Amino acid sequence: MITAERKPMEEIIESVRPYNRILLVGCNECVTVCAAGGRKEVGILSSALQMAFMQEGKTLDIKELTLERQCDPEYVEELVTVIDQADAVLSMACGCGVQEVARRYKDKPVYPALNTLFMGAAERQGVWAERCQGCGDCILGLTGGICPVARCSKRLLNGPCGGSTAGKCEISQDVDCVWQLIWDRMKALGIENRYEEVMTAKDWRTSRDGGPRKIIREDLV
Amino acid sequence: MKDFEPVIVAFCCHYCAYTAADMAGSKRIAYPANVKIIRVPCSGKVDTIHIMKALENGADGVYVAGCLEGDCHFKNGNLRALQRVKQVQALLEEIGIEPERVEMVAMSAGMGERFAEVAFEITDKIRKLGPNPLKAGMENAKAA
Amino acid sequence: MQNQNSVQTGKVLVVGGGVGGIRAALDIAESGGDVVLVDNAYSIGGLMTQLDRTFPTNNCDLCTLSPHLSESGRELHIDLKTMTDVTGIQGEAGAFEVTLKTWPRYIDVEKCTACGECLESFPECIRFTPGLDHRAPTCMRYPQATPWSYSVDMDKCNDPEALEKTCKIGAILPDDEAKETLIEVSAVILAPGASIFDPSHLDHFGKGLYDNVFTSLEYERILSASGPTGGILVRPSDGKQPKRIAWIQCVGSRGIQKGAASYCSSACCMFATKEAIVTRERFKDDIETVIFYMDMRTSGKDYELYYQRAKDEFGVRFVRSRPHSVVQNPKDMNLAVCYTQDEKSENITEEFDMVVLSTGFMISEETREMAEVMGIKLNPHGFAETASFKPVETSRPGIFVCGMFESPKDIPETMVQGSAAACKALGIVPRGKQAKAPADSAVENQWDDYDGYEAFPPERDVTDETPRTGVFVCDCGFNIGGVIDVPALVDYCKTIAGVEVAIAVGHGCSGESQKNIESYIKEHQLNRVVIGGCSPRTHETKFQDMVRRAGLNKYLVEIANIRDQDTWVHRDQPEIAANKARELIRMAVARVKLSIPLVDYTLPMNKDILVVGGGVAGMTSALALADRGFKVFLAERSPRLGGMAANIRKTLEGEDVRSKVAEMIERTMNHEKIQVMAPAIIVDHSGMPGMFTTGVQSGPQMFYTSIKHGVTILATGALPNKPSEYLLNEHDAVVTQLELDERIEDDPDSVKNAANVVMIQCVGSRTKENPNCSRVCCQAAVKNALRIIDLNPDANIIVLYRDMRTYGFQEDYYKEAREKGVIFVRYSLETKPAVEADEDKVTVTFNEPILGIKASVTADILCLSTGFISDDESTEDLGFIFHLQRTDDGYFLEDHIKLRPVDLPVPGFFVAGTAHSPKNIRESIAQAQAAAGRAQTLLSQDEINLGASVAKVDGKKCAACLICVRACPYSIPFINADGYSEIDPARCHGCGICAAECPAKAIQLMQFQDDQILARLDGLFERMN
Repeated sequence: MITAERKPMEEIIESVRPYNRILLVGCNECVTVCAAGGRKEVGILSSALQMAFMQEGKTLDIKELTLERQCDPEYVEELVTVIDQADAVLSMACGCGVQEVARRYKDKPVYPALNTLFMGAAERQGVWAERCQGCGDCILGLTGGICPVARCSKRLLNGPCGGSTAGKCEISQDVDCVWQLIWDRMKALGIENRYEEVMTAKDWRTSRDGGPRKIIREDLV
Repeated sequence: MKDFEPVIVAFCCHYCAYTAADMAGSKRIAYPANVKIIRVPCSGKVDTIHIMKALENGADGVYVAGCLEGDCHFKNGNLRALQRVKQVQALLEEIGIEPERVEMVAMSAGMGERFAEVAFEITDKIRKLGPNPLKAGMENAKAA
Repeated sequence: MQNQNSVQTGKVLVVGGGVGGIRAALDIAESGGDVVLVDNAYSIGGLMTQLDRTFPTNNCDLCTLSPHLSESGRELHIDLKTMTDVTGIQGEAGAFEVTLKTWPRYIDVEKCTACGECLESFPECIRFTPGLDHRAPTCMRYPQATPWSYSVDMDKCNDPEALEKTCKIGAILPDDEAKETLIEVSAVILAPGASIFDPSHLDHFGKGLYDNVFTSLEYERILSASGPTGGILVRPSDGKQPKRIAWIQCVGSRGIQKGAASYCSSACCMFATKEAIVTRERFKDDIETVIFYMDMRTSGKDYELYYQRAKDEFGVRFVRSRPHSVVQNPKDMNLAVCYTQDEKSENITEEFDMVVLSTGFMISEETREMAEVMGIKLNPHGFAETASFKPVETSRPGIFVCGMFESPKDIPETMVQGSAAACKALGIVPRGKQAKAPADSAVENQWDDYDGYEAFPPERDVTDETPRTGVFVCDCGFNIGGVIDVPALVDYCKTIAGVEVAIAVGHGCSGESQKNIESYIKEHQLNRVVIGGCSPRTHETKFQDMVRRAGLNKYLVEIANIRDQDTWVHRDQPEIAANKARELIRMAVARVKLSIPLVDYTLPMNKDILVVGGGVAGMTSALALADRGFKVFLAERSPRLGGMAANIRKTLEGEDVRSKVAEMIERTMNHEKIQVMAPAIIVDHSGMPGMFTTGVQSGPQMFYTSIKHGVTILATGALPNKPSEYLLNEHDAVVTQLELDERIEDDPDSVKNAANVVMIQCVGSRTKENPNCSRVCCQAAVKNALRIIDLNPDANIIVLYRDMRTYGFQEDYYKEAREKGVIFVRYSLETKPAVEADEDKVTVTFNEPILGIKASVTADILCLSTGFISDDESTEDLGFIFHLQRTDDGYFLEDHIKLRPVDLPVPGFFVAGTAHSPKNIRESIAQAQAAAGRAQTLLSQDEINLGASVAKVDGKKCAACLICVRACPYSIPFINADGYSEIDPARCHGCGICAAECPAKAIQLMQFQDDQILARLDGLFERMN
């Protein structure tokens, strides 16, 4: 799941300051699940914005709408009936959703209300952690199902660095050293002998290093 | 600002604060009429948006009154309400409204006196804070 | 002329329709039994309906009692016969044949709508208040009377024909005649109540002689909004508001006047204190209040605190003295009260504008005659004879007693006995007539009457209608109407958008007003209703039933709490109160527009019972229920049953406690329906009434068992107090009353040889640390003093006390002790006795207030009356596990201090014995029987109503994020096969936490939907821009 969190209010306020009529668009997918941009957050942001501007003597005309998925053109099409009543769109989706709205409604300014953070998993209620960087060449099969690309601060592929102390990463006591986790996991699986197998240099062209990526499924096109 | 009578919305749990308010009534313990009670089945039912909307509509203060810690009829609704109140406070701070306008309080059903006490304290506090800044903002705009 | 009718058997006859009789009748009816409720008055309600307010909450009685009254009027299980006497009884327990004589009412109750036309035509019509009014030919006793019908006193009517013509529907029957009815019943409950001592023959108090002397009941009527003066407190002599009012206690009680009873009437100290507080509350410093008393007997639950509040908070003055006379000053009609005090030798005279005599209770000649008809034994005072272990059983098997007729008592104790008598009476109603047999036979044994129970019309479908709201505003007598202008409020309500009609309805809870509102609903095709009245906590059900009768779904009514949370609170600021009332009604109107019809969910009822605590109270409850065929789990913390009573040897009346308790333990251990778990501790708990699950660790190994049960009775007791004071726990000569009680039985010689015995009362009670009275210590001291005198008539016994609280018939023993030479010396907190060790004896030094000297006694035995302290640790743990509230001093807090003293605030929980408050064995047993009786009202139902307040998921909006699944305190939501969250309405507890946390706003809690909550805000605020 893509995770995100709300931008500081000040930034959002400044972005919509020039406008009177705002279309505030949420997304019922990832950002709902990570409690950043679903119907509830849309309502709260709408109210907060209203209050922020009322202090200055201005009321906004805010229309709230939450789409099933803001990164699909068909859902984004649903905005067509209301887009003309807005001076600007404030999107509470991840970056994909913001761009999809901007692509579809070319003459309408679109502002993000969220900072999109990472692809992650829920550790428990209210806690999400990074798990994947989308490198395009998955090595989880070699590392006991724990990704050093996403979870090692240095993205090291061959064991921990000298900063690993008592199972923790040197950047913070709150961050596990992923190579400790991989070791523990391999031991549990009885394959600790493979820990020392040297991994060859990773081909980063499948990742962002190869430029923007695209998937084309000929069978579906 | 002497004549300012704040409007305060109190979201009261049915099992404690609402009953305590009734108890205050039956013991004839007076408390400020500024406090307007909205009954909820549990303080945990009070949504962030309810608190925000109360302020947006013009409330000068809002408080959520739940059971004492460990006494929640629904185990932990009061604790969840507390977290939500904190969230609202942080959000208010970001938009330049005094977070003290929103508060979480705890009491049990038998505490009629405490209900009145809390009502007095919060009314006093909000009176000192002055009216909801939204009102001033809108009035200035109208005047201009 | 006589009519003979015969009715089928299996019923219970309840004689007397006061609060005790009503409670008993309702409990039996709710448990599925049939009741014939007879009262010789023209409407039920008894004495309590004439009171203005009751302590300790100072509530108006009418509104707390009236729901009960109308309930019993409606209940199809109760056959109500007013103006009816019992004239004969034959047979035995299980098969009585009773003859009833119904006197002519001259009004057809079925036809009478209580329109008041007849009353109009006969202007002298307010007959209401004993001694304060003139009798009128037609009368109703109070505005919420049941049956809702007038009655005629034909003897006072000069022109019956003219009277008959005033009634357009022909409800007046001048030729009405007495009818005799023969009924067969299984059991009888006597609840005739008591009458009030008439002080008019006591010329030194001037009652009847002087205009400004009243009895306390008259004073209640004067204070009451529905009383003869409409609640205006003025002196009859000059129509002026009094400035100084005196109360004189013990008039007609404690044997101090001519014709007075020798016992203590038990309730007068509290009602006088209450009247004084209410007066001070209403009139502040404009009226000074003084109470003249002998001993302040505030020994009930939290009563001592009330007494202290009267002194400290309300400035009521308490003077310990017996005034010897009240003399009227002929000039200004003021009353001179003459008295002396212990500490002073001179006469003191104080002048008052009004004097109230706190008159005690007597058994009337009528009741004695009825008892004779019933063939039951009376005690020397004319009360029904009972025993400590059989507190509600008369001498004749199958005939039970409750309330004042058993002994003088207050309302909560009467309620307890009412439920106890119901329990005992149900015990001999043939099986099948009462609650369905618990387990297997439940299906075939259909309970015929059940469907007819709530005869509601079908619901009107209002889904497509635009909201049409009616606003009905109560004045609740002075409670609302005395503070704000109700007609003006009604006018305002008419201007609120969406309001179709708005009217004032007086007491909205009364039968008449309810019918009136119903007809408005029908006539104006209303589909939303707002009541401006009291708290929805207490009256929501009543108004829900009302709209159901008018054909609306019960969730289409909203109550604006303009009494408890407005006029009661802001009564000194009527403007503010009026404004708040407008706001509250506006909020309710906005809210009710968005109400939608809802359906209640139900679940099958588990009929097993968990009793916690194996003392006398716990065993009594367990045995009563087990004898009715219910399965009982009895969990006791210690390895043995018996509790505190196992350490008591004799009651004050001389009954042997040990053998009775042993007998009880034997029966409990061997009862096939009782599973005793001892030692056992409660470790966890979940569920709801009718389907609780409680985890118990029990046995020597402390194995964990999970028990499923429908109701829970808490009888965990209290602890004997043992404060470290007066050398207790240090010196062998210093013992507690409990230890002395044992020593008198086991080692009488050591007691016999004691020349001097000193007892100190209130040790560890009525102090800062333990502010309440322990209730039992005064009787224990008298009991043990008398037993020592029996062993050694020459013993010198000195009892140092603060107030002797030998309430009820215990007063006789107190008197006997004084007659036998026991010396009672009063001390106060400022002059506490001092105790010093003197070898194997102790020296006690104390003040003698009458002689004004310090006296010293070397005591062989110093016995401390240490009373009770709550079992704080247990009640705290159990309170935490079961979510129960406790009082400040650690006893369980009941649902309603006056009217529901056995029910705990969490439905399905009941309390008995000293876990509730300090009490003696007799009182504990009565409450335990009451708990068993109250439990049966639940156990007789086959379904649990879960209400409609459950969370609902909109699958289309749900993002299956799992937040609800994780947030629910009971783990009810799950993601279903269709990929969205599902919440089982039967298991949802209705807290709404999931609804508040759902990030997709896909969950709404019915009755508390977001738009409904926000609508209240809209109603409150006019938009600013």
